[in-house]
Amino acid sequence: MSGVKIEFKDLSKRYKDVLAVSNFSAQVQSGRVTGFLGPNGAGKSTALRCLLGLVNPTGGSAEIYGGSYSQLQEPIHKVGAVLDSRGFHPGLTAKQNLKIMASASEIDFSRIDEVLELVDLAGAANKRTKGFSLGMKQRLSLAIAMLGDPEILILDEPANGLDPLGIVWLREFLQKLAGEGRTILVSSHQLAEMQNTVSDVLIINKGLLVAQGTIKEICKGRSLEEAFLELTLRKSA
Amino acid sequence: MSALLKSELRKLIYLRANWLLLLWSGLFAALGTVAPILVLNSDSGPGRGAFSGTETQEGINAVFANAAGGYLFALILGILIMTNEYRHGTAVGTFLVTPKRSTVLVAKLIAASLAGLVIQLFSFIFAITSGFIALTFFEPHAPVPAELLFKVFRASAISGLVLGIVGVGLGALVKNQIAAVTGAVIWTLIVEGLVVAFVESIGKYLPAGAITGLVDVDFGENDFNFSIENYLTPGPATLVLLGYAALFSLIAMRTTLRRDLD
Repeated sequence: MSGVKIEFKDLSKRYKDVLAVSNFSAQVQSGRVTGFLGPNGAGKSTALRCLLGLVNPTGGSAEIYGGSYSQLQEPIHKVGAVLDSRGFHPGLTAKQNLKIMASASEIDFSRIDEVLELVDLAGAANKRTKGFSLGMKQRLSLAIAMLGDPEILILDEPANGLDPLGIVWLREFLQKLAGEGRTILVSSHQLAEMQNTVSDVLIINKGLLVAQGTIKEICKGRSLEEAFLELTLRKSA
Repeated sequence: MSALLKSELRKLIYLRANWLLLLWSGLFAALGTVAPILVLNSDSGPGRGAFSGTETQEGINAVFANAAGGYLFALILGILIMTNEYRHGTAVGTFLVTPKRSTVLVAKLIAASLAGLVIQLFSFIFAITSGFIALTFFEPHAPVPAELLFKVFRASAISGLVLGIVGVGLGALVKNQIAAVTGAVIWTLIVEGLVVAFVESIGKYLPAGAITGLVDVDFGENDFNFSIENYLTPGPATLVLLGYAALFSLIAMRTTLRRDLD
């Protein structure tokens, strides 16, 4: 258990008549890249938002470092998150958006140049984000997530809207972070990409855990896409 | 908390829209002093008829009492401070950096209060200066006593401090920015104005009525059908405004703290 950084314990979330997540239990191991897979509306984003304290669970819990996100001291130094391609003010430059986040958590402004360099956005540092392409917005979201140099990264569909070059860039970026021993939980529809990037897999469908294990255990010689389709369709049937 | 407050102030300073709002507050308040001077002294205006012009103290009081009129913009800025977070999705980042939402809210309330104060002080100075310049075209006029300016300054400062907070509370309650700002403008410029003018017994307890009481300047009952006697005195008026600030802070705490961020 000491290697477990993230744990969902019987997590449930109901929105009026819709049960988005149902008694979902899973673990994310330390220092691994875990793919969080599931069809649209499976409950991935809801589970991640519960984990980050943005959504209140109806039942159960989602824990980071053995407690709730809200209990973390200086969370930006422990957990970085990308939840969508918004999250910054369009009227401000990339650097101004980062300064706002950095000053809220007393991070030295020299770190801003580092993270902009890290996501290849140094050239657009002083441009207003309303002119950013979706790929640039995703990179800026990653820069914000990396601001506190966190050990854990939680990424919800970071490849959404990226062109092939952006996807290649993201793959290399995640591989670099994984090589540094960070724990990464990443949800995505890009199954082929996930196969090349993740070491563990969590599959959720209709709010329920469908499968959990290493990519080898899940795939059993098939492609991740084949395994995913079989597991989710079998569960749906 | 100080880091979070600095971050909130940084947001206020960086956004160009906020500087435009500050400018608009000055222009709006200046209109409130200059327009009455022109009307009161026009050939067909009340100053040449049965009513007092700026050669009388009542006329001067009526002109400069309006210098506190920029409070609507303090309210709007408070709304923007809160609703910008939802409109642009920055609330997620804000609450990830500081998961204790009450701490974020307190920082926003303080920032909004300070920003409201700045707006009101700026619009007060802009309105007073504009009023004095306009008066030079209509000499002779009655003197502008320091006590009058002090009373309006006091009302400007207190209303700015309080209405910024009320704006944050309103923004937390009505997350839709356009709806919140439109509602605040309609309420302040139309609904509240009518209630204060025609149902003084209720109107004096509304924010505009309380601010009128806080200004504590009489225009002359005969000339303007207005008597400050019908309004709260500055002490109770301040308490009423603080009550609104407390009420809306509480609303903000209760709503923002409990809502899911989807």
